[in-house]
Amino acid sequence: MTDPIRDEWYPVALVSQLGPEGRDTRLLGEPVRVAWHGGAITVTSGGRSLPSQQRYGHVWACPGTPQRPLFDIPEADQPGRRLVDVGLVRVKCSPLRAVENFLDIAHFPFVHTDILGAEPHTEVGRYDVAIREEVDEVWATKVHFYQPQAAKSAAGGITTEYMYRVPAPTVSILYKTCPPRPGEWDVITLFVQPLDEELCEVWPWMALFDDDTPMTDLIHFQQTIFLQDRSILENQLPHRLPLDPGLEIPTRADLTSVAYRRWLKRRGYTYGAQLVAA
Amino acid sequence: MLPYWTPVALSRDLAPLVVMPVVVDGAELALWRSASGRIAAWADRCPHRGMRLSHGFVRGEALSCIYHGWSYAQSGQCQRIPAHPDLEPPEAIRVPVHRAMESGGVIWVALAEPAALPPALAGLVPLRSVTLDAPFDPAAAGLAESGGAWRGTLAGVAVAVLVQPLPENRCVLHVLADGAATPAALVDASRGVETLRRQAEEALA
Repeated sequence: MTDPIRDEWYPVALVSQLGPEGRDTRLLGEPVRVAWHGGAITVTSGGRSLPSQQRYGHVWACPGTPQRPLFDIPEADQPGRRLVDVGLVRVKCSPLRAVENFLDIAHFPFVHTDILGAEPHTEVGRYDVAIREEVDEVWATKVHFYQPQAAKSAAGGITTEYMYRVPAPTVSILYKTCPPRPGEWDVITLFVQPLDEELCEVWPWMALFDDDTPMTDLIHFQQTIFLQDRSILENQLPHRLPLDPGLEIPTRADLTSVAYRRWLKRRGYTYGAQLVAA
Repeated sequence: MLPYWTPVALSRDLAPLVVMPVVVDGAELALWRSASGRIAAWADRCPHRGMRLSHGFVRGEALSCIYHGWSYAQSGQCQRIPAHPDLEPPEAIRVPVHRAMESGGVIWVALAEPAALPPALAGLVPLRSVTLDAPFDPAAAGLAESGGAWRGTLAGVAVAVLVQPLPENRCVLHVLADGAATPAALVDASRGVETLRRQAEEALA
C-alpha cells in the first residue's frame, strides 16, 4: 500500500548542527528522534527506525516506504560552489503555504521592500510553467523581475532571471541569476519539515558562487527574507492551502501556484491542504 | 448576524491612513480610515491569497493588501493589481463590505441591517477603550442600562460604557465620560476603568 504523504522524504535536521544530544522533533504530527549512533545518524519514531539519509547538508527521513530516491540537485556537487546551511525558521503555517510563498515573486516589492523588489517595479511578465511529466516535477522558467538588491553579492538594482522547481510536495528549488558568474545559476532551496498540518520548520539551504561574502552575512540575508515571509504566512486564511479553485482568486502572475496546487491534488498530497471551500 | 450596531473603537483611536483588526459578532474585520477621513469595515481577508487586510496599508482612499499590494476602493472593489499594472481587475475581485458609521465619538459596525440607531451620547467625551479577558459584569461595577449604554459613575465621574463582545467570553469596553469633568477627574475615571478591568479578570481567576 503506497501513501502519497508518508512515502515522501522530509528534512528533520541539519547535519552540521546535530550535537551529541541529538534532536527531538516532529514529523507529520508524530514524535521523531534524530541521533548519532557511533558515526552514523539514525532517525526513529515510536521505537521504529525510519529510512534516512544525509544529503544537501540535511538529514532526510521517510515515515513510510520510499517509492523513489531523494530528488537530485546536480549543482550541489559542482566544484566552486559554497554550500550554506542557513538553519531553521519555525512558521505557524501549513507546509504547503510555505512552499507556495517561496514560488511567488509578485510579493517582493511589498514584503521584501528595497531588497528583492521595490515599487514602481511591480510588474510580473509572462513566464512559462509546466508539470514535467517525465520527472513529475513542477517547473517555472523565464521568470524575470527587477530587484534592488537581488543577492548579498549584488551591487545595485538588476533584472534577475529565475527558474523554480518543485521536485517534492514540501521542497522548492530556486535557480537565480548569479551576479559574479554570468551563465551560472545560484541555487537556493526551501526544504520544509511538516510538524503538523498548520506548523512547519523551514530549512533554507544554498549552493552559491560567492567567494567573498562572509558566511554570517549570507545566512543573515536569507534569515531576514524568511522572517519577512513569516509575517505573511502566519496571517493567511484559511490556514490550510485551498487546492480547489473558488476560495482564492489567482492571476497570470500566479501560474506557478496554480500548477503547484493542481499537481498536489493530482498526487493526493493533502497534508496541510483544504479540499472543499469552507 | 446581530441586527444592531456594535461599538468597535473610539473615533480618535483610528487616525487617517490607519487600518486595525476588529471583531464583530465573531467575524474578523479590517477597520480603516482613508486620507479624507472616511471609515470602512471589511472582511479581514484579501480574496487573492487570503492575507489579512488588517496588515495592509492605506493610500489615499484605498486599502492595499500587504502581500501583493492589491488595492481596493471604498466599495470593496479591487482597483489595481500591481503585478499587472495594465489590467483592469475583474468585478468578481471584491472584498465583502459591512455597514460602518461614526456617532458620539465612537465607530460602530453592523453585520445586518440595524433596527435602531446607536445610543445618544450627548454631553460625553471619549475616555478610553480597554480589553477584558473576562465577561463584563455591569452590576458589579455599579452601572445600570439606560438608553443603550451602561451608565453610572467611575471615581465620581459620570460615564457611559459600551460593550463590544469578543469570542471566548472576552470583551472590549469603550468608555465615555462626562464632558464637563476636569482633566484630573478624567485621569481618575481612566484609572477607574483599569480597576474595573482588573476586578473582572480577578473575579474570573
